Amino acid sequence: MFIDLDANATLTPSSAVKRRLFLEEGIFGNPSAIHQSGQRTRALVERTRRSIRDFMNLSSAHQIIFTSGATEANNIAIHNGKGLGGTLVASSIEHPCILEPLLKIRRSGERKVVLIKPSSSGLIDKESVIAALDAECSFVSIMLANNETGVINDIADISRAIRAHFPKVVIHTDASQVLGKVEIDFSTIDADMITISGHKFGALSGVGALAVRPGLSLSPLIMGGSQEGKLRGGTENVTGILSMGLAVEELQKFGSERILRAAELRDRFESEILSLLGDVSIQGKNSPRLANTSNVSIAGVRADDLVVALDLEGILISTGAACSSGKIDPSHVLLAMGLSEEQARSTIRISFRGDESPEVLYRLADTLPRIVNTMRKSTIRGVEINGNAYG
Amino acid sequence: MAMHMDKGSVVVAMSGGVDSSVAAHLLSDQGYSLVGVSMQVWDYKRNCGSGSKATCCSPADFCDARMVASALDFPFYVVDFEKTFQQEVIDRFVDTYKRGLTPNPCIDCNTKVKFRALRDRAKSFGCDYVATGHYARVAQSDTGYHLLRGRDRDKDQSYFLYTIEQDELAQTLFPVGDFTKSEIRELASEVGLVTAHKPESQDICFVSGSISDFLVNIGGATPKKGNFVTSKGVRVGQHSGVHQFTVGQRRGLDLGGSSEPLYVIAIDATSNTVVVGSREELEQSDFGVEAIHLVSPALRRLAAKNESFEIDAVVQVRSRHEGTPARVRFDVSTGEAVVVWKNDWAPASPGQAAVFFDESNEELLGGGRIKSSCG
Repeated sequence: MFIDLDANATLTPSSAVKRRLFLEEGIFGNPSAIHQSGQRTRALVERTRRSIRDFMNLSSAHQIIFTSGATEANNIAIHNGKGLGGTLVASSIEHPCILEPLLKIRRSGERKVVLIKPSSSGLIDKESVIAALDAECSFVSIMLANNETGVINDIADISRAIRAHFPKVVIHTDASQVLGKVEIDFSTIDADMITISGHKFGALSGVGALAVRPGLSLSPLIMGGSQEGKLRGGTENVTGILSMGLAVEELQKFGSERILRAAELRDRFESEILSLLGDVSIQGKNSPRLANTSNVSIAGVRADDLVVALDLEGILISTGAACSSGKIDPSHVLLAMGLSEEQARSTIRISFRGDESPEVLYRLADTLPRIVNTMRKSTIRGVEINGNAYG
Repeated sequence: MAMHMDKGSVVVAMSGGVDSSVAAHLLSDQGYSLVGVSMQVWDYKRNCGSGSKATCCSPADFCDARMVASALDFPFYVVDFEKTFQQEVIDRFVDTYKRGLTPNPCIDCNTKVKFRALRDRAKSFGCDYVATGHYARVAQSDTGYHLLRGRDRDKDQSYFLYTIEQDELAQTLFPVGDFTKSEIRELASEVGLVTAHKPESQDICFVSGSISDFLVNIGGATPKKGNFVTSKGVRVGQHSGVHQFTVGQRRGLDLGGSSEPLYVIAIDATSNTVVVGSREELEQSDFGVEAIHLVSPALRRLAAKNESFEIDAVVQVRSRHEGTPARVRFDVSTGEAVVVWKNDWAPASPGQAAVFFDESNEELLGGGRIKSSCG
């Protein structure tokens, strides 16, 4: 039972992308080759570029730069933000692939870097962004939806305010978590650069894109080839790019319905868990959120243990962000929202796809309270026992 | 695959070494359902640099453990125990050295981390047992559970387990305890485990360089210079900090001018003085032990019925000591004991564990911490 869509949407059982990908013809030539096999591949790549642009409702003059994923797209954005010469501003709840490059720039002393805290409901509000800006500022990056809480920032409103006060500022938004989880028209949000991530909406891992406003001149982060309008050297990940095209087709057909269903499942899950378990809080519940995401703090439980215990029962979820090692720092997002380290360490993320059977809720309602109650008891027992050594 | 009887579920602690890998293989063969756990106890990269030569429990070792779990087809998780390890092992290790005593980090780790924190996790994962790759054995009788030395006496690790409780023994499995190290390596090769030819882990797992450097760089110790003196108070040299020495130590004193070899016979951390002397001066006929913990059911019964009692035992005073016969007098009300050597003796370092075995040197009866002779 996979309810961890926010970590990876590719391998869900009903994904048609995987099956269709290998039936696709013409993916064997190098898209830069002169011969006809190369030409066929090139055509498929360009068709995908167009379909992604159309799906996002961006103008035909927008550039779509294919990358190895959202991490690279975000790094390109920061690299170019630094190139503008002024202060760099971002929210403190960005993904580490935004925060780490920024903190490196700050440490080097090359540029001033300002990080904006969210409200306790997980939102970055317009006022705090404007308050952080000054005449020296040249670049702002605020994520569209947070990958842990699912809270959606009103980037359109924030952009309007920035443009009104500081028209020269370049605005980037990381929209990695958005596609397929909320209906959104990217033409209205007025960002200069937008990051998307393939595997978060059903494509393969290892591919993403940066959408760039017409007229914005960028410099490449990876050099050594004229691919992607000389903005990203290296032969294109053709299979990955085509999988994004197929995933977009899926979203066009089934996306709206799945979003409605995911919201229904998520809301039912949240009301059930609130009634079944005491000492539970749902982070960002009163903010606009992705339809499918639930970030739940369960007092008295270590989230990483709960994820293991649920996995052993065949229920796949995660603690905030997917993590590649055993070293688990408490979520910087939740800490920034004002949670204590202990609360942050007792928080899990459940994210629905929208086509799960209702059984998923019955199983959660049955399993989660049972495991949580066992863990809460064992935590009490975990307190140091100073028994008589001889006894 | 062996026939699958459902013998219960086991959390197997996997360091990424050959012993715990084979432990997992043996249990899987016996029909247990396994959950592999590598315990994230220490951030090697942060504390030792990326070129750390730590011999187990590093990210590369966890990767080996993960591959073993995948080959044997059971789930595997890295579980975070850093906070517990810092408090119960590292802080205590540093503090004990600062007080001029010799710490036992492996015993603290077993007591507080492996057999308490890990068992708690095992329960919350719905598992019945905890298994490790220790060379030790558990036997059950009408009276309770007995902790025995591992069959391979060179590799026996029961010394490090004397703080284990009866209810913990009941839920603990030591699958490699019935084998010799070479048999374990052979088994690993036969089964084709990736860890079959990994080198042994040595010394203290979380110290990758010298203990002195660790205490200064990680423990925040500020070594103070002090004097070497003889038992008569004659100054014979200078040292750069008491934390480098342990009672009974001969090597590394760097003191010339004496016709016979000199040993550390006492350490006074308050005056930064290390007392040295001949082997005869080191000799003690008896020594005190505190914070006694009893393991064997027979001794626990004696302690429940008597204020004090005496036994003949074989006493082991450090990890690489085969044990020496002694008379042990227990005082139940204070939780202390006195060890009186019989014909032979061994140097007892304050802070180290003294562990009591039965006269056949097979069953671990209990143990405690060697008291400081200066009080």
